Amino acid sequence: MNDWVIALIKVVFIWTWTLIIATIMTWVERRGSAMIQDRLGPNRAGPFGLFQPLADGIKLFTKEDIIPEKAHKILFNLGPILFALPAFSAYAVVPFGDKIVIGGKEILLQVADVNVGFLYIVAVGSMAVYGIVVGGWGSNNKYSILGGLRSTAQLISYEVPWGIVLLTTVMVYGTFSLREISLAQQGTFLGFLPNWGIFKQPLGFILFIVTAYAEANRVPFDLPEAESEIVAGYHTEYGSMRLGLYLFGEYVNMYTLAALMVTLFFGAWHLPYVDMSKFLSPFAYGIASFLVFFAKVAFFLWLFVWVRWTVPRFRYDQVMGLGWKALIPLALANLFITALVVQLTV
Amino acid sequence: MDVYFLLFAAISVVAGLFTVTAKDALPSAMGLLTVFISLAALYLHLNAPLLAIFQVTIYAGAILVLMVFVIMLLMSPGDEMQEYQPNVAYRGLGAILSVILLGLVGVAVKGISDVVQARQLPDGFGTPGQFGNLMFKDFLLHFEVVSILLLVALVGGIYLAKKDVN
Repeated sequence: MNDWVIALIKVVFIWTWTLIIATIMTWVERRGSAMIQDRLGPNRAGPFGLFQPLADGIKLFTKEDIIPEKAHKILFNLGPILFALPAFSAYAVVPFGDKIVIGGKEILLQVADVNVGFLYIVAVGSMAVYGIVVGGWGSNNKYSILGGLRSTAQLISYEVPWGIVLLTTVMVYGTFSLREISLAQQGTFLGFLPNWGIFKQPLGFILFIVTAYAEANRVPFDLPEAESEIVAGYHTEYGSMRLGLYLFGEYVNMYTLAALMVTLFFGAWHLPYVDMSKFLSPFAYGIASFLVFFAKVAFFLWLFVWVRWTVPRFRYDQVMGLGWKALIPLALANLFITALVVQLTV
Repeated sequence: MDVYFLLFAAISVVAGLFTVTAKDALPSAMGLLTVFISLAALYLHLNAPLLAIFQVTIYAGAILVLMVFVIMLLMSPGDEMQEYQPNVAYRGLGAILSVILLGLVGVAVKGISDVVQARQLPDGFGTPGQFGNLMFKDFLLHFEVVSILLLVALVGGIYLAKKDVN
């Protein structure tokens, strides 16, 4: 029974934490864009405009909920739910720290350490496209359908190199469990580098971050909602909290992808050269591992914002060309070389 | 009775019926998605998590996305699919074939319950490691034959899609 309570607490904690991060990210996005464009951004609600997300939330909740007359009612309502559900469930297998000891009981800072954890993320990630497609189709609007069409093509194209890169990291670590991958990144590599995934898979990381941006529909890959061409793409007809769910789902996706980058390529909760568990009490170590992990995640979340406001959007044929002609061959070459090295060294 | 099995079996049958009877293309595809996911849930129930994940990733995440892409490319919302097969001969043939198929499935189910008794699962059953061992050691030949089949299909597809250079 006790284990059930702990599992429940973990689920509630990570759920709330993700929601808080997604909320704060909307503020970071607006203030960050303002900083990059030499503006001020929202600075009236609370200190530094920190209450702005709350005001936005109240606005979204109290707005009139409009369903277009010609829309397919069921699909229109289903779209945002189908988009947010995979986004929220993907984090279940990603760790958010090492372990914490409370009252003599060791608790892993991860909701579920399953032996197919890795593949679970791939499976859940591939479900996100249905939210966009269903919403776009259900809106019965030409811009929405174009957005949905673009998103399917983009997702199919970029899931291939994304999957191959994930496979390559599995080959390096020899496990599907994200916790074991994190644990394997302690110590040093070649004597002087931190034993992090990025030093073993530099090309893999570059490919992963590019495909992750495409998976999350972020600039420069936000073709499904390119406002200069198709108004707002798949969510053109959406308003009030339904639109809110779409926007929220995007930030939750970003959070999961950033956590995945840290887990696979940036040593998860390990500090370079320092083993925190040696000189911290077990309880303090749990907190510290969570904070270190989150600090790294925060950097990658900021990188998402940074890229969005500095890199212009691709043209559609450029996105497809990059995916099929550059990323897939590179990912395959990376896979081949990694397989060769793994075979020769083991 | 096994409630978990009955629940997902019922969902997949209902969703399957919806898939073949829906006149609107995209809701029909969503019905198929429901079938795939409830099948994956059944695989999970059978202690085959890897198979469940593959079911979701490959069928729901790749093949169905491709189908949806084609639907969006060729149809628009509000378009209804054509009337069911109007040819009476074809409909009759379909009915006979489906009865035969149902009989075959029945025989297979009966046969399986005769051959396979309930038994303890071996250690590590359904884990990715054991799956890989089976596929790349015991059944390597089958695996390679299937991969050649896929390669042939790939080459055929490229040949058909290729523009005539001359």
